[in-house]
Amino acid sequence: MSVNQDRTGRRYELMSRDELTAFQNDALCQSVRQAAKSSYYAQRFRSLGLDAADIKSIEDVRKLPLTSKDDLRLSYPAGMLTVDPEQVVRMHTSSGTTGKPTAIFHTQADIDCWAELMARCLSITGATNRDVFQNMTGYGLFTGGLGLHYGAERLGMWVIPAGAGNTARQIMLIRDFGVTCIHATPSYAMHVAERMLIDGDDPKSLKIQRAFLGAEPYTEEMRLKLQDLYGFKAFNSYGLSEMNGPGVAFECEQRNGMHIWEDAFLVEIIDPETLEPVADGQTGEMVLTTLRRTAMPIVRYRTRDLTHFVQGECQCGRAHRRIARMVGRSDDMLIVRGVNVFPSQIEEVIMKHTWVGGNYVIHLTRAASLDQMTVKAEIAKSAFDGSVETIRGLVNELSRQLREQVGFSVTVEVLEPGSLPASEGKAKRVIDERG
Amino acid sequence: MYSEVRVFSENKPGKLSRLSKALGSAGIDILALEIADEGKFGVFKILVADPAKARDVLEEAGMTVALNQVAVFQIPDEPGGLTKLAQTLEDAGVNLTDAYGCILERGKQAVFVVKGENLETIENAAQGQGIKPISSLG
Repeated sequence: MSVNQDRTGRRYELMSRDELTAFQNDALCQSVRQAAKSSYYAQRFRSLGLDAADIKSIEDVRKLPLTSKDDLRLSYPAGMLTVDPEQVVRMHTSSGTTGKPTAIFHTQADIDCWAELMARCLSITGATNRDVFQNMTGYGLFTGGLGLHYGAERLGMWVIPAGAGNTARQIMLIRDFGVTCIHATPSYAMHVAERMLIDGDDPKSLKIQRAFLGAEPYTEEMRLKLQDLYGFKAFNSYGLSEMNGPGVAFECEQRNGMHIWEDAFLVEIIDPETLEPVADGQTGEMVLTTLRRTAMPIVRYRTRDLTHFVQGECQCGRAHRRIARMVGRSDDMLIVRGVNVFPSQIEEVIMKHTWVGGNYVIHLTRAASLDQMTVKAEIAKSAFDGSVETIRGLVNELSRQLREQVGFSVTVEVLEPGSLPASEGKAKRVIDERG
Repeated sequence: MYSEVRVFSENKPGKLSRLSKALGSAGIDILALEIADEGKFGVFKILVADPAKARDVLEEAGMTVALNQVAVFQIPDEPGGLTKLAQTLEDAGVNLTDAYGCILERGKQAVFVVKGENLETIENAAQGQGIKPISSLG
């Protein structure tokens, strides 16, 4: 196969561990040299007395400084750009809601590499150019839309760039064009299913085979619920705007952890407190270094995402290691009454209750200096039998299980279907009004 | 047996008017309405002449609706009009979990709606005393 036809980067995808390590040694050296061309890293390296030439292999990675989200903000707008402006063909920004965003730049080669990684992600799920793919996330600065779009086109899929929202049209297009694969946030996929059920329609009638879900944290329970509603196979996607966006890691057909593309990203997992590497297989914060990006290499980026390497080799045979579903982001962790709680722990419990329609929020308030957690969940239409007692029983049971999970009492409120704002992008699951 | 329309509702201002508007614009007359209040949420219990139509109308308006079986008896609208039915139920030893009444025609006829553990026992007991459960309010 010629390089030109290698749409998914099979020469990288099929590398053995040794080949990957050899490739990474070279790529890291190049990437650090490239990073040093930016005003930000030039100064940072200088202040540490570090020369790009000091980095000779991946063994030296810990000589490099960590880069945080705040560092990216400090370099805003273009302090990390390493190439002449005429070489830049695109930029994206993070979806951060506080303060300045972080901007990421791409050359044409960077965009091609991103598309290749994304096409590879889609192909390992078994998707091919025979699939009809509907992209149901926002385009624009958000990386999820264009990222999947370019990857799907590169794979040769029939792409429907539906974008986010307009649920009735989404359903119509899926049905009329025989869509076999979709990309959506888990919460939007849930919203579409709920909409159909409310209208007396069955999501299974759409005959979608694969769903690529990502862009927000969600639990295995939510995946099972979605698979059950639609009858599709859901594949987990991982990415972050600082590392292009989607296309960083993806589940293969085995669906047991996400292969992280180690030809493009050097992966470390560290203890977020001591910053030391954790033992292999232990959970810690993932730190990533770009290996194939030219316009804006990032060195040892602290993702804030907590995960671990899945142990053993994948049955698919690929040597790229697998990362487990994110436990949560270290910044997502809530401290309620002194107890550390991840929203994912709450969702895990909620999703086991079939009466919950899918949409819910975790509401935090403070009364008499004591934290209060209230879970507000929409009831599924089919769960209402007319009886107050039934609902009371469901509420009490969920409340009891949540208390068991987190160790303090949680109030449960039942809402009418559709009363929470429908999320078309990333769902806002936590409302913290503790001030 | 008769069907009572039940609507799940959050306890918030505007929920009753939403219900009334939806039924009103469909030309459906509310014969009786009761609210079972559970704090943050409640359930509306509504007696209408055409429960199936009311359910469709309310669902169409986005509400969460169920039909629940009740027994409805016609009684005279006069002092003591309920006594014979009440005595019959007492004699039959049935316990009611829910009951309410409404006047259909002032000074002439009213209906009494009951719900209990065994509706069939309730209906049979009443029928034995000549009080016929009604299956239509149209």
